[in-house]
Amino acid sequence: MSLDTHEVTEITPPPIVATEDEPARSRLRLRRDRRRAGREQDTVPYALRGTRRGKVLRGVLLGVVALATIFPFYAMVVLSLKPSGAVEFPGSLLPWNLTTSAYSDVLGSQDVPQWLINTLIYSIVGVLGTLLLSALAGYAFAKKRFPGREAMFWSFLSMVMVPYHVTMIPTFVLIAKMNGVDTYWGLILPSLANAQAVFLMRQFIQGLPDELFEAAKIDGASEFQIFVRIVLPLIKPIMATLGTFVFLWHWNDFLWPLIVGQSTDMRTLTVGIASLQQQNVPLNVVLAGSVVAFVPIFMAYLVGQRYVTEGVAATGIKG
Amino acid sequence: MRRNIRPRTVRAIALPALATALTVGLAACGGSSGPGSGGKTITTWMYPVIADEAKNKEYWAGLTDAFAKANPGYKVKVETYPWANRDTALATAIAANKGPDVVYLVPDQLPKYQRSLVPADEYMPAADKADYRKAALDSVSVDGKPMATPLLMSANPLICDKRVFAAIGESTYPSTWDDLLNLAPRLKDKGYQATSYSGDTQQTLNLTWYPMLWQAGGEVFAADGKSVAFNSEAGVKALSYLRTLVDKGYTDKDQVTTTPKLEQTPVAKGKVACTWQNTPADVEKFWGKENAVVMPPLKDVKSAGYGTVGSFAMLKGANKDAAGKWISFVAKPENSLALVKSNGYFPARTSAADPYPGNALQAEVAKTLDVMSAGPLKEKSRDVMGVLAPEIQAALIGNKSPKDALNDAAKAANALLAR
Amino acid sequence: MAAVAEQPRRLRRRGPHARREARIGLLFVLPAFVLFVLFRFGPSIAGVLLGFTDYSLMDSPKFTGLDNFTRLWDDPVFWSSLKVTVLYTVITVPGTIIAALGLALLTRRAFRGSKLFRSIFFLPVVTSLVLASTVFIWIFSTDGPWSTVMSLVGGHTGSWLADDVFVVPALAIVGIWSRFGYGMLILLASLQNVPRELEEAALTDGAGPWQRFRHIIAPSLKPALFFLAVIETTASFQVFDAVYVMTGGGPANASYTLVFQLYDAGFKYFDLGYASAIGLALFVLTLIVAIIQRLVIGKEK
Repeated sequence: MSLDTHEVTEITPPPIVATEDEPARSRLRLRRDRRRAGREQDTVPYALRGTRRGKVLRGVLLGVVALATIFPFYAMVVLSLKPSGAVEFPGSLLPWNLTTSAYSDVLGSQDVPQWLINTLIYSIVGVLGTLLLSALAGYAFAKKRFPGREAMFWSFLSMVMVPYHVTMIPTFVLIAKMNGVDTYWGLILPSLANAQAVFLMRQFIQGLPDELFEAAKIDGASEFQIFVRIVLPLIKPIMATLGTFVFLWHWNDFLWPLIVGQSTDMRTLTVGIASLQQQNVPLNVVLAGSVVAFVPIFMAYLVGQRYVTEGVAATGIKG
Repeated sequence: MRRNIRPRTVRAIALPALATALTVGLAACGGSSGPGSGGKTITTWMYPVIADEAKNKEYWAGLTDAFAKANPGYKVKVETYPWANRDTALATAIAANKGPDVVYLVPDQLPKYQRSLVPADEYMPAADKADYRKAALDSVSVDGKPMATPLLMSANPLICDKRVFAAIGESTYPSTWDDLLNLAPRLKDKGYQATSYSGDTQQTLNLTWYPMLWQAGGEVFAADGKSVAFNSEAGVKALSYLRTLVDKGYTDKDQVTTTPKLEQTPVAKGKVACTWQNTPADVEKFWGKENAVVMPPLKDVKSAGYGTVGSFAMLKGANKDAAGKWISFVAKPENSLALVKSNGYFPARTSAADPYPGNALQAEVAKTLDVMSAGPLKEKSRDVMGVLAPEIQAALIGNKSPKDALNDAAKAANALLAR
Repeated sequence: MAAVAEQPRRLRRRGPHARREARIGLLFVLPAFVLFVLFRFGPSIAGVLLGFTDYSLMDSPKFTGLDNFTRLWDDPVFWSSLKVTVLYTVITVPGTIIAALGLALLTRRAFRGSKLFRSIFFLPVVTSLVLASTVFIWIFSTDGPWSTVMSLVGGHTGSWLADDVFVVPALAIVGIWSRFGYGMLILLASLQNVPRELEEAALTDGAGPWQRFRHIIAPSLKPALFFLAVIETTASFQVFDAVYVMTGGGPANASYTLVFQLYDAGFKYFDLGYASAIGLALFVLTLIVAIIQRLVIGKEK
């Protein structure tokens, strides 16, 4: 039973869904709430734990749904390891007669490794840039008073409401006029203006006690020092969560890279693999490309799973 | 404390400044080499005419090396783009000032990019010009001016599978729509299809439906080019005829919506009597040379078929001298031979040697080169296809009557043309 | 909150200090502000304005008044893609929410393996739909797993992606697969709100599972369900990636969605004014649906 309580507190912090009615609460309060939730968990009455038959039924149901959920991943991996043309069902799903020929095709071509590099650049620069910019802005919005602060903050936040598709075309026109089509900066720069990130940073930093900064100021620390030595370490949790999400968004982004990256050399993995699909490349090669693109995100998920699930639960951040 | 304000402020500025510098730096280092920088590098956009990636690379590497040797100081960069969505990529690049210097185009793309192209007259040597087949030069000419340099020609006559006709004991091959329709039930009884039709919306209508429209006596555009004419009586007749073929199972229904790999198509499997959407070069490895019969394109009120020209066009902003030399270099018969032979195409120049000596089949096809049409040369040709192709598909799968489908398409197409 | 309220008084007292704070605050916001002006505020306004122009990137924009919108009204392709988008949403959103709710209720209490189940269910959320689509094309192919299963249970055989009626349900299945894990996590978090004492009391009174759900669990889930409905509807209205890769909008425009039409208008035909008008229509549509959802769910409460 101790295992059970541990799992519950790990995975499902109390509900702090950021709807308009109920803004996200601070991380500190969240921790306190979670501790409380953990204690409550110990008192689950026997009756609420369900009957044996109920448990079996639940197990079977969950098992079936889980199998259906991972089936595409399984098929993706197995078919990518088959010789070209092995697409018949169900024969080709059996895990033998495997060959890595599709992978040597994919990794041996110039394209896929280049796309991998592009995706890494887009994702890593995107994460670092977004985190730095939103931390700076979030700190200022939360702890500094300056004229127009509220108006500026709410106008930032209102941008969450404007769908991406309204701004996409003018953004493209702007990037095109600035000669940014088919360049890294044209790809990355617009993605750094992230309203959600600024909002979450501000909410988090607002929850930090002022005394921490005041104390440093009295000790004669400069603003730069305060930001680097105090703010940044304190906001590590939100940076981890936000960083994981921004990474996911960039890695999986499709429409913008599709529009901006025109030459084969400037594609990201998603755009490149979509183009492979359209070019009648054999299925095993396309899927090998998909696996290559999926493995890093899978690894990131394994490592950052806690931040992802907590992030969703605590802030309703979009997956 | 107060004395500290200045250095502190400086340091406080440091971080945002760093962030700004980072973004600006990002902008700078992505620095654009720009299109047609007028420099010594000639950027060329090519498509997988030679489908085999390795062979394609080898071919272009050979040509660029030879060109660089003959013209020291110039460097050619050939980038092979996918066929899919190639107009989007090219138009975006041109609009964003990132276009190539030289690009491979087929005739019906030329009007769309006309404003961005350097007319071929301005760089094509007179001797070369005189050497081209008239049909080739005409196909790349917009308003009487050649806009590109032809590299190769193709023709899609009607080709029939001798084995299929033997199987039903028939020795005359169809030359009219009625001939084909009369044969169809007998073919079907023996498990054969009369023809094949690809309804994939990525497929150019020049190859698929437009020949039928022309054969019925119709045209895609009205004479003044300001509206479309494909929803005429001839158009409705052509689409109704095609729908009959699909409905009665005289052509593969799956191919109306999907495109299987060539080797998996009924044509390759020897199940189709005649087709105008494949060339002898496509089918001979499945049928055997001896079993392919070349016929003139089908006719209803007239015989008409599709044949195109592959050409190199120069974009404005290119170094005219260098890019012109490069284009003329590639256009030399001996240099474009591998492109020509990649898919059983034909040379565009009269002085070129026969690429298929002793091949009677190809000789038959070559005879039809001069009567083929490359499709309407209008600025919005491809855009019109974009709205028409799904409507044809809708009619063929039975969602709409041919008349409604064509009228809906015409409405959308005219809205595009009115812009 | 007390600290925030006190701040201004404290700052006003120290004049130069307050000014310095303000300067630093502005300085820290500046980089983000510049980017927002360039890539969010500017384009938002420009996006609206462009909707009233004829613009192709080559020439300068021409003001055409409401032309784009009357053209949109008369465009059969627009109505068809609107229908496709709404149909997709009508299947995907309830499907996602029901799946999410069911799985949240099932994995609500910790048990051996519950963590693994939740991880599995969330995995599709972090997976790019483009990558997933490459394998779903095979799953839905003529002799693929889905068609085989369907022919066994007597459903529509043949490739769903090639059928003009079944193509949207097929895409919706992919949409649900990729999204239900997210909804599940949101609902799991919200389930912690359910008053335990009430649930126990109801149990002692002999209330069945449905009654417990209806009267005790459902009320506390309402805000989360509303949030999910809005988020999922917005996402469904913008469906593009999977359609682009799996069907290209076909067959016969049967899966041609609004964002696909916007993409084509913008980047195939370079009809940027028209594309912006489609974007605005999409925006208005999203707003209307959010308001309706708010009224419906809000009223019951």
